[in-house]
Amino acid sequence: MRKGKRIHSFILYSILFALFMGLGLPTVVQASESNAKKGTAQNPYIITTDITYPPFEFQNDKKEYVGIDADIINAIAKDQGFEIEFRPLNFSAGLQALEANQVDGMISAMSINPEREESFDFSDPYYEAGTVMAISENNKEIQSYDDLNGKTVAVKVGTTGATFVEKLQEKYSIKVNQFEDSATMYQDVVSGHSDAVFDDYPVMAYAIQQGLKLQLPLEPEKGDVYGFAVNKGQNAELLDMFNTGLANIKEDGTYDNIIDQYLDSDEKGSQNGFFALIQKNWRELLNGLSKTLLLTVISFAIALLFGVVLGFFAASPYAILRGISRLYVTIMRGLPMLVLAFFIYFSIPELLNIKLTAFIAGVATLTLSSAAYISEQVRGGIEAVSGGQLEAARSLGMSYGKSMVRVVIPQAIKIMIPSLINQFVITLKDTSILSIIGIVELTQAGKIIIARTYSSGSMWIIIGLIYILIITFLTWLSTFIERKMINA
Amino acid sequence: MPKLVVKHLKKNFGDLEVLKDLNFEVEEGEVVCIIGPSGSGKSTFLRCMNRLEEITGGSVIIDGVDLADPSQNINKVRENIGMVFQHFNLFPHLTVLENIMLAPDELKDETSEETRKTALSLLETVGLSDKADVYPKSLSGGQKQRVAIARALAMKPDIMLFDEPTSALDPEMVGDVLEVMKKLAREGMTMLVVTHEMGFAKEVADHVVFMDEGYIMEEGTPDQVFNHPQNERTKDFLEKVLV
Ligand SMILES: Nc1ncnc2c1ncn2[C@@H]1O[C@H](COP(=O)(O)OP(=O)(O)OP(=O)(O)O)[C@@H](O)[C@H]1O
Ligand SMILES: [Mg+2]
Repeated sequence: MRKGKRIHSFILYSILFALFMGLGLPTVVQASESNAKKGTAQNPYIITTDITYPPFEFQNDKKEYVGIDADIINAIAKDQGFEIEFRPLNFSAGLQALEANQVDGMISAMSINPEREESFDFSDPYYEAGTVMAISENNKEIQSYDDLNGKTVAVKVGTTGATFVEKLQEKYSIKVNQFEDSATMYQDVVSGHSDAVFDDYPVMAYAIQQGLKLQLPLEPEKGDVYGFAVNKGQNAELLDMFNTGLANIKEDGTYDNIIDQYLDSDEKGSQNGFFALIQKNWRELLNGLSKTLLLTVISFAIALLFGVVLGFFAASPYAILRGISRLYVTIMRGLPMLVLAFFIYFSIPELLNIKLTAFIAGVATLTLSSAAYISEQVRGGIEAVSGGQLEAARSLGMSYGKSMVRVVIPQAIKIMIPSLINQFVITLKDTSILSIIGIVELTQAGKIIIARTYSSGSMWIIIGLIYILIITFLTWLSTFIERKMINA
Repeated sequence: MPKLVVKHLKKNFGDLEVLKDLNFEVEEGEVVCIIGPSGSGKSTFLRCMNRLEEITGGSVIIDGVDLADPSQNINKVRENIGMVFQHFNLFPHLTVLENIMLAPDELKDETSEETRKTALSLLETVGLSDKADVYPKSLSGGQKQRVAIARALAMKPDIMLFDEPTSALDPEMVGDVLEVMKKLAREGMTMLVVTHEMGFAKEVADHVVFMDEGYIMEEGTPDQVFNHPQNERTKDFLEKVLV
């Protein structure tokens, strides 16, 4: 688990971490100055967990941190009588925070392995997670690994499950579909594209408990053990209390209750219906939508300015300005927006040694790309106003500038409005690409909800409908305004 | 001194020599008609007279000022040279009155009340007083061309250039436009008119120029050119158009 973090998420996390360091440092320094005894209400142990990694840690509807990790450390703290405070961080940021003594302990579904034992002291294992195979709820055919011969299997890139399937391939002929996230991978089996999926047992068991239409025909393989970690040589007292507490809660049944609560698949949650999904998640969807609109409006406004300038360059009598404009348009046309987004978000900060927030990188991506198309529309509009119009104005003695402003541009604008509206809609749709650099716009909000609810089917319909509705409304609105303007 | 002097005028489009060493003079108040076969360079020649085409060589001197000199403020020169196009080129986003008032409003030091008065009286001259507030798209071709003439006159030019002003018109519209041009000629305007209207040329022109293949082949009074052409090409051309 978590062996193969993707490269770009590593960079992303590093940036987030750097930001966090900047923000978090002063408070930490203050905390260590006070000499009060650790683990009291005034000076609680700071524990980091991942931001969201169900069923180990995630926020419930009341924005409280719950999950196997969160519940176990809470139960132990109660048993041992110390106070804790959660500081949720992405996994790799959490590791670095622990190493830098910014937090006292980390419980984050972390496998105990020799490399990590060099930097951290681990508690007794509190959980064993193995890879397990899941198949569709109504599949009766696959009952053992032998039955996988000739079948298609879904795995997540870089996971233990993927490694396990590679080993199976030595014996059987198995076709592998690779995925980047669990929810999409599960959906591939539910919708019948893949026959089976391999993933960590607790994650999959939890998903099934949440209503995912899969079943587990086999026991999990033996796998990694998870431990609670403190920095090497630090907080030995905390580690002792954790071990004692763990033993206690295992004995009195609290531990089993916690595990069953999240993983017992007999007690299935109801699969989220269409309207229940909207009802439970409308706030998140609305936030995503506002982000989408904000990105669109800001980017389009800047792109309009920039595009108009480039469009004038393209229609100008000066070869050098036309050249600049053509070069720009050629580059932007040739560049897929996804690549542009990655370039701006990952390459530019590295090359120029600067920090860019995802939002700024997103606005830059949309702006640069839309500006190229807008400039083409501006050029087209200017050229469509026949050369005769400019000549007539010039023959009266008006300068190039005056002729453009009074004669050519007013006509060009009318020609351009419909294609600019169209470009606005395209820009709005393009914002969905920015989910890839972690901006929580509408599409990414959908992905996050799916990661929690395993409801790809309904959720993508909802997201699609929201896009259609908002775009139809905006198109209607702009046509209305356009008509008003032309009549005026 | 002549109003307009053309000396050794040359015009190339890339490698194509369109005007080859033209020499030519126009006196103040004269009406000159330029005739010739298609592609002979008539429009190009006319467009060199207000530098809508860059001049390749030679000079075009108007009131002692050489247009070919790049340091000349061409906008100032153009204020005194009106031009009327074959396809009118009215500004479709402006009303008839606004079309006429646009350039004086932008360029002349007069109150907009004065500009307006001038514009209205010009509309009266071309017989379109009732069309002041309509947009060009509701006008007939002949009406459009008369507005275009009024627009050019609004800058109070002392030379007017016409490039086939009646070629794009239905026959029944041609007369009205020619009437307006005749009136202008009678009032003493210096006019250069590229035209296929031989009747107009015979009646109104003081001078007729026949162009072919980038040269002025023949020039003279209408009587000389139309009734006693010397050049074989002129004879050929006239035979074809006067059938
Ligand atoms: N902008 C241009 N670029 C290249 N060649 C041109 C350009 N304008 C005109 N020409 C060429 O110059 C020559 C003269 O054209 P011009 O329009 O002056 O002829 P014209 O006598 O007015 O003909 P018509 O009676 O058909 O209007 C033609 O061969 C034409 O193809
Ligand atoms: Mg012509």
